[in-house]
Amino acid sequence: MNNGTADIFELHGKVSRATVIEEICLQLAPFQAGEQPITGETVISKDLTIDSLAVMDMVMELEDRFDVSIPMNVVAEIHTVDELTETILELRAKR
Amino acid sequence: MNPLPTRNIQLALRRADFQSASEMLDYAAQGETGVTFYNAKGDVLSVLPWREVRERAHVVARKLIGAGFAAGDRLLITADTWPGFFDAFFGAQYAGLIPVPVSVPVGIGGKDAYLDQLRRQFASSGAVAAIGIDDLAGFLADAVAEFSAVRLHGGMAAIEALPEKPVDLRPLGPGDLCYLQFSSGSTRYPHGVQITQRALIANLVGMTGPAGLDIGAGDRAVSWLPLYHDMGLIGFLMGPLSHQCSIDYLTPRDFARRPMQWLGLISRNRATISYSPSFGFDLATRRGGQHVPADLDLSCWRRAGIGGDMIRADVLDRFAEAFGPAGFDRKVFIPSYGMAEVCLAITFSPKDVGVRTDTVDRAALADLQRAVPAADPQDNRRARRFVICGHVLPGHRLEVRNPTGKVLGDRDLGRIFVQGPSVMPGYFNEPQASREVLGPDGWLDTGDLGYMLAGEVVVTGRAKDLIIVNGRNVWPQDIEWAIEGKRIVKIGDSVAFSIETDDGERVVVAVVARVSDEEARANLARDVAGAVRETVAVDCDVVLVAPSVGLPTTSSGKLSRAHAKANFLAGLFAPKPAAA
Repeated sequence: MNNGTADIFELHGKVSRATVIEEICLQLAPFQAGEQPITGETVISKDLTIDSLAVMDMVMELEDRFDVSIPMNVVAEIHTVDELTETILELRAKR
Repeated sequence: MNPLPTRNIQLALRRADFQSASEMLDYAAQGETGVTFYNAKGDVLSVLPWREVRERAHVVARKLIGAGFAAGDRLLITADTWPGFFDAFFGAQYAGLIPVPVSVPVGIGGKDAYLDQLRRQFASSGAVAAIGIDDLAGFLADAVAEFSAVRLHGGMAAIEALPEKPVDLRPLGPGDLCYLQFSSGSTRYPHGVQITQRALIANLVGMTGPAGLDIGAGDRAVSWLPLYHDMGLIGFLMGPLSHQCSIDYLTPRDFARRPMQWLGLISRNRATISYSPSFGFDLATRRGGQHVPADLDLSCWRRAGIGGDMIRADVLDRFAEAFGPAGFDRKVFIPSYGMAEVCLAITFSPKDVGVRTDTVDRAALADLQRAVPAADPQDNRRARRFVICGHVLPGHRLEVRNPTGKVLGDRDLGRIFVQGPSVMPGYFNEPQASREVLGPDGWLDTGDLGYMLAGEVVVTGRAKDLIIVNGRNVWPQDIEWAIEGKRIVKIGDSVAFSIETDDGERVVVAVVARVSDEEARANLARDVAGAVRETVAVDCDVVLVAPSVGLPTTSSGKLSRAHAKANFLAGLFAPKPAAA
């Protein structure tokens, strides 16, 4: 049984690519470096002012929100916002 | 699925009176207790009674022996918290192979760094087989490509695919190794600590006995500690196993995600024993301290151990305040001290008295190497509070010595040496590194600094990180805490070390700069230098580090000051030239 609050925010059914990107950008917005906008090509751990712990917090937030679990080897190979988006969409499709 | 029972129905309690890990398992397997795995939501993922751990390990052992692996061969295992670890680890125990537990990757884009680390561990251990969770099979394949001696690698399926042959088991015995422990703080040049069966049992006897945690009938353990650390593997697998206890596991990742599940499990399962470094208590307080669930009942928790990092009394105070209303009794805190080189533990504070501290004068400690009680313990600028870590385990000895080797008396600051049956025979295949820490008389140089206080040890920090400015000892933690304490940067975003100059040692503080405009950067540097001057009374050079470069950490996520210093000297922290 899960009484966690995450369920309230969990998305059900099909989600679009735009929704996923929007959510990632929302999560990353606090770490935007200067005026440089966050795009699909943004390299998460390099182009932003985010540290490794905060990155993992963000990944966990996204996992909860989209109800997916990203395997640790896949996380270790993600670099850009686009790659993170694709990963989440693929895992959603497999559910 | 229900968690496994806390008590065995008929099996009589035996208190670590065994000769080897496999003997402990043989006995525990006659009862009903075992290990239960949970997910981040607190649901049971799987249960593995000790009986089943043993049966599965026997199958694995016959497959490994049947495949031609020789006694003493090393088996590398990615030590995620999952049933496969138990299969592989105990399978190796019954097959006469030496397990080499290694960490799992963390973080986004961390593949290359992880593969580098794996390659160093293969080189250091000479492993001939490697087993991991299925997700990591690909990484293992990448890492072993240059190690032709590795004959088997992959997920558990790689072992399952081997034929089970009718061979005799050849369990590791009292004279053998139990496993190789890569101690934290050694990602670059990993040293595998040789954990012998004898030392393991000696340490377990001390740790679980009356001078340690005093485990007995009715105890139940909860752990989220990684099994690739001695505190996770020896403390919270071998320890409970040595007393036929049940254990409830969360993975370290799931703990980081939902720290309150740790406390929730203790409460629901009426667990009695659980351990954490200070940062785990801190995380739980920060995430859960404001909204303690009404049904959380921690009154069952009778041994809350702290170890693995410098113990922070302030963090434990806050935890006790936050969870006191939920039944947590601060008297159950047990500060302890140890390292992989002694298996795990070497001192424990007395039971049922909680955290005791000694507040000393900073100036006397720095200038005179004396821990003089502070005139005004409330004055943080002049006083420094240390946690008293208890007596050395029975059968062991602990001394604090000065640089010439003289054994020091109470309140004289020196280097901590230990001796006794828990001490390692040396690092695996590293005679030189072993000689550097281990004397011919069997005394181990822990590399830690501290002082004695009425038979108990007070650990003040790592000797090698110590900064000496104008003959004064300065602890880098003090500098970092001063900066964090003023909330100039967050925890883990600053690191202090010293460099040698013509004028003696110069303190350098590297901080992660999460601001980009020049004025904000200048302010940050000024605030950091100001805080250090104000609190620790030394001048320092402040280096701003881009978040993309970051500060180096050890495999356990602790800041590596030595590595930070090396990066600094290599010019890696040099500020980027201003945009043209």
